Amino acid sequence: MSAVDRTRDIGEYVPAQDDDMIVCRCEEITKGEIRRAVHDGMYNVHEVRRLLRCGMGLCQGQTCARLVKSIVARELGVRSLEDATARAPMRPIEMSVFANDGGGE
Amino acid sequence: MKRYDLIVIGAGPAGLSAATEAASHGLRVAVFDENARPGGQLFKQIHKFFGSKEHKAKIRGYDIGRELLKEAESLGVEVFLNAPVIGLYAEKEVVARHADGVRHYKGDTVIVATGASENMLTFEGWTLPGVMGAGAAQTMMNINRVTPGERVLMLGSGNVGLVVGYQLIQAGCELVAIIDAAPRVGGYGVHAAKVARTGVPFYLSHTVVRAEGTDRVTGVTIGEVDASWQIIAGSEKHFDVDTICIAVGLSPSTQLLKMAGADMAEPAAGAGFLPVCSATGETSISGLYASGDVSGIEEASSAMIEGRISGVAAAGKLGFADAETVETRLNALETALSALHEGLFAPRNRGKSVPLTDEGIDNSQHLLKNGYLADDEVAKYPGVKRVSGVHPIIECTQNIPCNPCQDACPKQCIKVGANIVALPVFDETSACIGCGQCVAACSGQSIFLVNDDIGDNLASVTIPYEFLPLPEKGDVGTALDRSGTPICAATVTDVRAAKAFDHTSLLTFSVPRDEYMRARFWKKGAAV
Ligand SMILES: Cc1cc2nc3c(=O)[nH]c(=O)nc-3n(C[C@H](O)[C@H](O)[C@H](O)COP(=O)(O)OP(=O)(O)OC[C@H]3O[C@@H](n4cnc5c(N)ncnc54)[C@H](O)[C@@H]3O)c2cc1C
Ligand code: SF4
Ligand code: SF4
Repeated sequence: MSAVDRTRDIGEYVPAQDDDMIVCRCEEITKGEIRRAVHDGMYNVHEVRRLLRCGMGLCQGQTCARLVKSIVARELGVRSLEDATARAPMRPIEMSVFANDGGGE
Repeated sequence: MKRYDLIVIGAGPAGLSAATEAASHGLRVAVFDENARPGGQLFKQIHKFFGSKEHKAKIRGYDIGRELLKEAESLGVEVFLNAPVIGLYAEKEVVARHADGVRHYKGDTVIVATGASENMLTFEGWTLPGVMGAGAAQTMMNINRVTPGERVLMLGSGNVGLVVGYQLIQAGCELVAIIDAAPRVGGYGVHAAKVARTGVPFYLSHTVVRAEGTDRVTGVTIGEVDASWQIIAGSEKHFDVDTICIAVGLSPSTQLLKMAGADMAEPAAGAGFLPVCSATGETSISGLYASGDVSGIEEASSAMIEGRISGVAAAGKLGFADAETVETRLNALETALSALHEGLFAPRNRGKSVPLTDEGIDNSQHLLKNGYLADDEVAKYPGVKRVSGVHPIIECTQNIPCNPCQDACPKQCIKVGANIVALPVFDETSACIGCGQCVAACSGQSIFLVNDDIGDNLASVTIPYEFLPLPEKGDVGTALDRSGTPICAATVTDVRAAKAFDHTSLLTFSVPRDEYMRARFWKKGAAV
């Protein structure tokens, strides 16, 4: 992951009319929470996800990953932003199944 | 660890094609898919495909899926269903979930063909039940056989929005409108026209303002957007709907490639990250390929060719096919793929306004703004000739990669030529026998058969018809024009259904002679 420029001045958090709109349905995270997280210093989707859990619910970000990314990018005033890290397990999976690791058998 | 020469992740058109190609060169192949049924998007696609005969044009998506599966099975490809791949590592170790546990596999080569997921759009009320992706609506209708709702608004005029919109009408839903924030219809004109002539209005430069309802969608308000995408005050329109379908594009499902450590890059800043691939789809990791929508959103037709390209490349890499065999095969496949990348919808034309067709004729702006051709511009195109007697009127006016009409005609009346994006030309010197093969074969449902004089000052119009119940000979109804506006009384004079027509029926109705160039759809009953 490329380094994050934390000296970037993104100005004050200004409340917006649609701040209470839910963006991540699985974890019920609003646009305002995501915007505020950026102003609290989470300068990439990875950190926002760790703080708020958006994209970590049942759909694993299938619906909101792109939306969250565009909100963070706009808040930072950048066009391009890296996607969040992809990690196993790629799909939600019960612990009992995950733990039943048959290895290469 | 169980070892395969090739492991394919995703059993869509790309994955299945990759698997069959590789297996045909002798590789031991396993395919994993998280769904209960193989085929990816293909089994949802009930319409006839575009393209050329060699690449399964005019065949419906689900039939292509069946053919591919049969081929894969006969070559001994192992297909694991209900088996999501949850991890992929640089050493080409694949971790898949089975019913109650996970297993590890090793592929000497791995092809990732995981397709794409639908983009969503946020607006007030977007989380209400009744707002869904167009792909989800398509799955409900065509796989699970339930209608998503009764009255539907479609947001998005790309091919997905147009195709799913048409299927909603076929399933018996009322499609109240197709809207798009862009100022022009994004998908094929022929797809738009077949929706428009049933009476569905298009609102370009419009977006959803809000979905209404408390615990489910009961209505929607749309509004016109200005150049900076802001809603123009006073432009709002309301529709009573119970469903809002969103078709605003797809995003490649690249997570497994990322996880494996393949290099990713954006084609342009903000365009989204894609795997960096060679011409054969090989990523920065040797022997790991990306194929189909996961390597960049296209279509099933190109996904199938890309899959075969990666499949033969894997065979070459592992020494199952010699360099010459690989090269000959790759050349043929790449030629086919580049033919699909030509024409109005070529990648290089994306987002651009193209004023003229390759033939130098105006691209209809009316079609792009309203979803149908204006009456006075139809005759400009080479598929439309005013001659007497029975003959086809080909309203296919954009350069798209497609040519089944040419092969369909037993009398060589229709020519597309070697360049499959060329506009079909009706040769008026040939002798059309009115067999209707062209009408049924046209993937875009854009060929009509007319007879300008059947006596009694009447003319006949034959249209492709894919709705049930089928009208019957003698039914009295109303002819609609290209915009879906009722224009005159019309009596059904013939209904033809044949196995060779593959579920497209030919509906012939009579209209006053001066209306045969306008009448393009038929509805039962008198006009209201
Ligand atoms: C609504 C809609 C309509 C379309 N209409 C047309 C059309 O008319 N003509 C046309 O040519 N194209 C059409 N397309 C596009 C076409 O469907 C796609 O381009 C094509 O299906 C891409 O093929 P693919 O094999 O890359 O991906 P897909 O068909 O999406 O297949 C991917 C497969 O991978 C599986 N998968 C994904 N992740 C995992 C995982 N982690 N583990 C296991 N399995 C996984 C999925 O279950 C799926 O079966 C349409 C697309 C949509 C969404
Ligand atoms: S109706 Fe038959 S003969 Fe006439 S153009 Fe069509 S396919 Fe050819
Ligand atoms: S007229 Fe020919 S080229 Fe045009 S959509 Fe129909 S079959 Fe394809």
